[in-house]
Amino acid sequence: MSALIRVAAALAKREFTRFIRQPQRVIGTVAQPLLFWLFLGAGFGGSFRPAGMENVSYLEYFYPGVMLMMMLFASIFSSITIIEDRDAGFLQGVLVAPVSRLAIVLGKVVGCTSIAMVQTLIFTIAAPFLGLHLGFGSLILLLMGFVLTGIGFSALGFLLAWGMKSTSAFHAVMMVFLMPLWMLSGALFPLGNVPQALKFVMLANPVSHALIIIRAPFYYGPEALFGDGHYLTSLAVTITWAVLCLGLSMARVNKREKGVAA
Amino acid sequence: MITIENLTHVYPGTRKLAPRTAISDLTLEVKDGEFAILSGPNGSGKSTLFRILCGLALPSSGKVSVAGFDLFAQPAKVREVMGVVFQSPAVDKHLSVAENLKIHADLYGLGGAGFTRRRDEALSWTDLVDRLDQQVATLSGGLARQVELAKVLMTDPKVLLLDEPTTGLDPVSRRNFLDALHKLQKQRGMTVLMTSHVFAEADDVDRVAIMREGKLLAHDTPTALKAMIGTEMVVIQAKDTEGLAAKLRAEMGLAVRCIGDEVRLEETENGESLPLLEKILERYRPEVQSISIKQPGLDDVFVHVTSKAVPDHALAIDLKRTGT
Repeated sequence: MSALIRVAAALAKREFTRFIRQPQRVIGTVAQPLLFWLFLGAGFGGSFRPAGMENVSYLEYFYPGVMLMMMLFASIFSSITIIEDRDAGFLQGVLVAPVSRLAIVLGKVVGCTSIAMVQTLIFTIAAPFLGLHLGFGSLILLLMGFVLTGIGFSALGFLLAWGMKSTSAFHAVMMVFLMPLWMLSGALFPLGNVPQALKFVMLANPVSHALIIIRAPFYYGPEALFGDGHYLTSLAVTITWAVLCLGLSMARVNKREKGVAA
Repeated sequence: MITIENLTHVYPGTRKLAPRTAISDLTLEVKDGEFAILSGPNGSGKSTLFRILCGLALPSSGKVSVAGFDLFAQPAKVREVMGVVFQSPAVDKHLSVAENLKIHADLYGLGGAGFTRRRDEALSWTDLVDRLDQQVATLSGGLARQVELAKVLMTDPKVLLLDEPTTGLDPVSRRNFLDALHKLQKQRGMTVLMTSHVFAEADDVDRVAIMREGKLLAHDTPTALKAMIGTEMVVIQAKDTEGLAAKLRAEMGLAVRCIGDEVRLEETENGESLPLLEKILERYRPEVQSISIKQPGLDDVFVHVTSKAVPDHALAIDLKRTGT
């Protein structure tokens, strides 16, 4: 157990150090969602009048959605480094080391999650300007939401990136796969007025559940949330998702290419 | 220390490609404390064998044991006693030398005073001591290779696998690297298996194994291998290689072989070469561009053994003679 933590921590620390040493990456990943939020918010602001949300501005509605986007994209795109690690040769050195395969997955996933966290936390500075005030309990729940989302989706990134030949293939797959999931999560527009068929997609979408556990703490305290069926369901789905992706990633790393019978 | 028994590896085919056999029924042993070189032409199965030995791939069939552990049943045990130096660098270029060594120590559970001592020991033969805080990307190729070897030696492996570790090094760096490796191997009694096709590297090792098309063609000491092709050889470059070879065979009854653009007469005994050379020159002067007498080196053995011109039964004789 201590060996697992030691190895995962060493690998995660490396991930983070590499990130910090590339300032363009830091600036790019924070600036892009910020611009997205400001421009979309300014553009849609006037026409955003969903039933029952008359006193919520679009900037405010979209705010947790952008946070989700930051967690999602930052963690998934950080796991792209697994392809670079393999091409550069670093990964093979780790694979032949006497370390548990789970530690290899956790090192990458925890590293990517913490990179995503840093970016998202910088963005939380905007909350008071929107009139959103977080109590201590809610803040803890929000952080938990970030961590769970980060782990689940960096593990997904890990799983997808592992078998891929190039980073451009990874980008392409992520854009067709991840972007729609995010758009159908309720991050961009409320789930209330969409066709029935789309509603089902939204419920089956793990990103929708991640959004719920990130958005809810801005409006409710811990007591209210732990008594709420919707919140608990989403929490359970997000945890299950994270465990599932971690497990599948570990199985993937464990699998060695095998020769066929002669 | 490393025992490979009846190892076969077949790559799965695709719709367009038939399955390809990379290693076929290979048996090889590297004894405790031995320094062995594994060589062979491109596509001979060396790299596949290397991937299997370091536990990155599973073969179609066969057994491999390293330090007494079954590589396929107990990979975790084998990883603990094995160090691997890959052809492509396994250090992180964006991190400093010290950071790379620290990560490696963490992977192998090396910490505290033990880490400092082992690290200083592993660095003692390198030129890295005053470059610890430099990023690996800013080091020269030779120094980056030193990081690689220092890193692996730090964990004191019983068995060390190296895959063409001197690729891209200049002759001086290459010499330094190999000298350090040989010295440490002797000091620690490590078992070393290194793939290489630079034969200048092979003269002072214990054994050389040569593979072709997934099979072991020769496995012996460098001296015994060189004895395989006699103590001297006559090498001729001609305008028409095949034509001259045919004439030499027919008219002089010499068992010559064509290898590349050279006609070679191997296995001439001491003192016989010069009169032969004179005789050949006398008869075929206009056709000969250059002619020389050569002491066979390991690269000549390699050419002799792996050249496809050699019929299988000839090889069988060679192998018998080297006792493999």
